[in-house]
Amino acid sequence: MSERARLSGWTIILLTLALLPLYLHSARWIDFLEMTLFVAVLGQGWNILGGYGGQYSFGNALLFGTGAYIQALLQFKFGISPWIAMWFAIAGVVAVGAMVGFLSFRYGLRGSYFALITLAFAEAFLVLSRSLKSITEGGSGVQLALNQDPAQAIATFQFNFAGPFLKEYGFYYTIFTILLVTYAITWWMERSRFGAQLVAVRENEDAALALGINTFKVKLGAICLSSAITASCGVYYVQKFLFIEPGIAFGPSKSVEALFAPIIGGLGTVVGPLLGSVFIHGVGEATKMTIGQALGGRPGVDLILFGTILILVLAFLPRGLVGLVEAVWKRLSGGRDA
Amino acid sequence: MTRDISNKSRRDFIKIAGATTALTATGVFSPFVARAAAPVKIGIVHPVTGWAQYSGSQARFGAQAALKEVNAAGGIKSMGGAMLEAMLGDAQSKPEIGAAEVEKFNEGGASAIVGAYASNICLATTQAAAKHGIPHVVDVGVSDKIVSRGLENTFRFGPGFGAITKAGVESFLAINKAAGSPTKTVAIVNEETTGFGAGIAKIMTKGLAPAGIEVVEVLSHPTPNKDFRNIVLKLKEIDPDVLIPSHYYNEGVLFLRTLQRQKVQPKAIYSVLGGASSQFRFLSEFPDAAQYVMDCNHWFDPKNPAAKALQAKTNAAGLHFNYEVFLAYTAMMFTVDAIERAGSSNRAKIMEAMASSKWSGSIMPYGPTVMDKGQNTGARPLVTQVMGDKINVISPSEYASTSAVFPRPA
Repeated sequence: MSERARLSGWTIILLTLALLPLYLHSARWIDFLEMTLFVAVLGQGWNILGGYGGQYSFGNALLFGTGAYIQALLQFKFGISPWIAMWFAIAGVVAVGAMVGFLSFRYGLRGSYFALITLAFAEAFLVLSRSLKSITEGGSGVQLALNQDPAQAIATFQFNFAGPFLKEYGFYYTIFTILLVTYAITWWMERSRFGAQLVAVRENEDAALALGINTFKVKLGAICLSSAITASCGVYYVQKFLFIEPGIAFGPSKSVEALFAPIIGGLGTVVGPLLGSVFIHGVGEATKMTIGQALGGRPGVDLILFGTILILVLAFLPRGLVGLVEAVWKRLSGGRDA
Repeated sequence: MTRDISNKSRRDFIKIAGATTALTATGVFSPFVARAAAPVKIGIVHPVTGWAQYSGSQARFGAQAALKEVNAAGGIKSMGGAMLEAMLGDAQSKPEIGAAEVEKFNEGGASAIVGAYASNICLATTQAAAKHGIPHVVDVGVSDKIVSRGLENTFRFGPGFGAITKAGVESFLAINKAAGSPTKTVAIVNEETTGFGAGIAKIMTKGLAPAGIEVVEVLSHPTPNKDFRNIVLKLKEIDPDVLIPSHYYNEGVLFLRTLQRQKVQPKAIYSVLGGASSQFRFLSEFPDAAQYVMDCNHWFDPKNPAAKALQAKTNAAGLHFNYEVFLAYTAMMFTVDAIERAGSSNRAKIMEAMASSKWSGSIMPYGPTVMDKGQNTGARPLVTQVMGDKINVISPSEYASTSAVFPRPA
């Protein structure tokens, strides 16, 4: 696919995402889009390290949860503005990511060993967040004070009780902005020297080392970038739901969501996590609205169908949806610029 | 002849049509119009898939049972017999999915919401409902944070964690005193994952100290917990007079069975919000391990015939008559009462009716409803004890069917 075609594609996607909510007039579907973009950003965080760098993490919840907890606790314990807290959250998560990366990469952990160590760290933080009650409020979690004054909506970064536009679209355009920034960074990274080095590490780390690439530094850079992106999801989650507890923060659910979107969409591509997230949420909602509603008395049947569709995608589209789009494009364009 | 009839019919038709239009415009027929056209939609959201699937499904059954009962009895009388229509939502045991279901209810025109079992889901659903001004009745969620945020749309008919624990201390002291105060030491075994069990030790220690009862050990564990052997061996070593466990169903079953296997038999097992201690399912599956276990928990008024009818209905459906069922049933009935008094499907009017509710027709031992910032202050737990194949209420005395067996026989 040519660069021009890619740019056109991105323009269409971003314009659609920017304008669609304004025409939807539906809080339900805006919420659906919000959650889709949220997972798309979460997936991009995983994709940078896993898709581009080949370092498969099973514990991105560690990064999400740490970000969420820092964001929540700085407001809850010290009354710090959420707009300031978010920078501490991102910096804190980058520090945690760098620590995990340093310990893992310093000792040459790769493949399943790296996956296991990330899982272990997420579990350790899960236990710590439950045990360190004086800091984290333990299992009962952190509940932020709810602002119901529209005049304070922006200052408190809470849009549920804001004026008409912010109430409806505030959180949507927040996550859309985060998506724009993170995807632009990934776009830049893909075309940068650093991105090329990261892909070289993924393809053959020993060969990359032999070519003079400082693989340790490259992987550490990738985990820091991945951490910053995933932290922004934690910040967003806390501001939207105003509550965080150990299970939500460090449980396996967010780790799975983070890796599922890019795997379904297309590993090591900028658009992959977004496509994957749209597909997962779209299919999930479609099955819920069709078979789920038809069999309302038998909950979970829609999830079985949803799971089956995902398995089929994984089995027959090894390069994910991006691979499918490229194959279709190749056929349509007669193989001119595939 | 034919022409005459035709002319007459046309004139009659014009008369009837004119009269009908006038009467409809003046509102004479409006109750009939409302009955025909406007069912009252109620969102029912529970985690019917995911980790809380069992309890969520039980709660959904309770809410639906209430709704069917009301419809079978002729619907909302003040609205000309308007039927209730359930909008079912599955939170998939995740708060964000629960909040998304609320958005659907809002678009679908729900007048009220009942749900959502787990505290963390309730926090998200009540907040999302507040955004649209939808009254939300919390059925189970015991975290006191749910009703302490100043949300005008949020109501909890049942008691919260703090009230249950305080009542648990008072009832235990009364039972202990009646038995000649044999308790000197207590050990608490609580879950610490979701928070409801985490505050128990603090309140218990503070409440038991004036009676000269020492809390010798607090053993916390996560949820889920697959092995209680270490905790039980520790308890064997400490040998407290009374054990106070507090956790979810699976952990409750495993803990009580491990106690039985390790032959640890204190003078009493007195649960506060014990997951399995007052569950008919546990009693039917493990009758020996359940014997003489006491529990301070949500419980229905055992003398109420409607409660017995619901129990029969639940059993007939192949489900267990647990707290999820009767709390969700009651939350729905409370909602229906508010709609009945509001005489409207308008959300604000229903909310007003809920806030000023004095409803006393529930199957729970609560008395007239008194809402204080969304919490029914009349709500209270009861203390039960397993005796043979029955779960009897032993405290407070006005609801007790028998007195406590304490200390338990060896």
